[in-house]
Amino acid sequence: MEQERINELVSKYNEGQADPAEIKQIELLIEEGRIELSQLRELVQLDEQVMRFEAPEPSGDLDDNFYQMLKTMKGKSKGFSGSRFFAWPEFAPKLAFASVMLIIGFLGGYLFFPSPSSNKEVAELKGEVLEMKEMMMLSLLEKESATERLKAVSLTSEMTSVSDKVTNALLQTLNNDENINVRLEALEALKPFVRDSRIRSELVRSIGKQESPLVQVALAELMVQLQEKSSVKELKKILENENTPRDVKKQIEESIKTMT
Amino acid sequence: MKTPVQDLETFSDNALMLKVKDGHLDKLGLLFERYKKPLFGFFYGMSKDAELSEDLVQNVFFRILKYRYLFRGEGDFKTWMFHIARNVNHDHYRKNKLGKAESVESWENRLGHDDAYSVQLQQDEETKMLTLALDRLPVDKREIILLSKYQEKKYKEIGEILGCSEGAVKVKVFRALQELKAVYQQLEKQM
Repeated sequence: MEQERINELVSKYNEGQADPAEIKQIELLIEEGRIELSQLRELVQLDEQVMRFEAPEPSGDLDDNFYQMLKTMKGKSKGFSGSRFFAWPEFAPKLAFASVMLIIGFLGGYLFFPSPSSNKEVAELKGEVLEMKEMMMLSLLEKESATERLKAVSLTSEMTSVSDKVTNALLQTLNNDENINVRLEALEALKPFVRDSRIRSELVRSIGKQESPLVQVALAELMVQLQEKSSVKELKKILENENTPRDVKKQIEESIKTMT
Repeated sequence: MKTPVQDLETFSDNALMLKVKDGHLDKLGLLFERYKKPLFGFFYGMSKDAELSEDLVQNVFFRILKYRYLFRGEGDFKTWMFHIARNVNHDHYRKNKLGKAESVESWENRLGHDDAYSVQLQQDEETKMLTLALDRLPVDKREIILLSKYQEKKYKEIGEILGCSEGAVKVKVFRALQELKAVYQQLEKQM
């Protein structure tokens, strides 16, 4: 609408001549901000009268009641107020903080202390791997090639704990293998398990079964290390044997001396 | 030491209210001193009941204290306060439905004990007529005129209170004043 028409409408209204349709138009123009209320003189006059109009004063009771309430509220706000603590705008950050801490706690717990179930799984897996190694070792020990059998014996060094099956196989190898290197390797492999009294006594018994001086000396040295006095009898048998080389006898004599 | 009068001059409404929010409840006293009259005027204009208006003013300040944590200091304190005042007024009428079923006794009671009302009676004819005309307006129109008066024609702020645009507020004021004028003229004829 043109400004001219707007001015015309305004002056018509101010003269009290505007019809209802024109008043509707004026309303639209007011909403659009094209006519200001201050342009409508008659209304401005009335509005000013309203603005000037003074409301009565409140009584002194209002002041008394207000300051009484303020005093009560001050007393309340000093103590802990549950409703204030849980009031959402203040409570929300507290809740968020608590939730984040809880999640961090859970994550930390999960990362630093693996759950028993995963522990169990790992243990099971370890057990399976150990079993496989044992099986591999036992089957390798039966191979004809001495190298393969050596490999089998050395496999046990990677095992932290072994079953009786393995130690028996190692003792068997120590006593019966045709290859001296394999026997020596088997003896080496048995060393970690000498705490077991059964293995110790088997080792003592093994002394009499050895013909190779190298193995005899190695066993004698081990007996000294273990201070296994029960082995003296077996060792003396080697000394009594005529076929035993002199150097070996000398070595064994020394071993017996250190033990007795 | 500062006197309350100095404080009144140096602190803005928002600064005071933020202090109240931080727990300095004493500062609400200054805001009360500033706004008890406009609030009372608003409620009195709506109800013509001085005692009730005082109760409602008290209610407004109670709510301001109770919901002080909601004040963010972004908007105008006065606008926020009148928003609360309007809610207090609505809640009161919703609870009591006084506007519709008023007994003659309650009117007599009010006239008998209400000093404020007798002061009102002594005012000049013109104002008396205007008051009467205002009283005859529907509640929503009376409310917009009173809000415009006590919010000093800040139509944008009134829009925030009513939840509508500035333009819409102006149209509401226009319509209310139109009707006020009509009622006023009618009363003049009767006199």
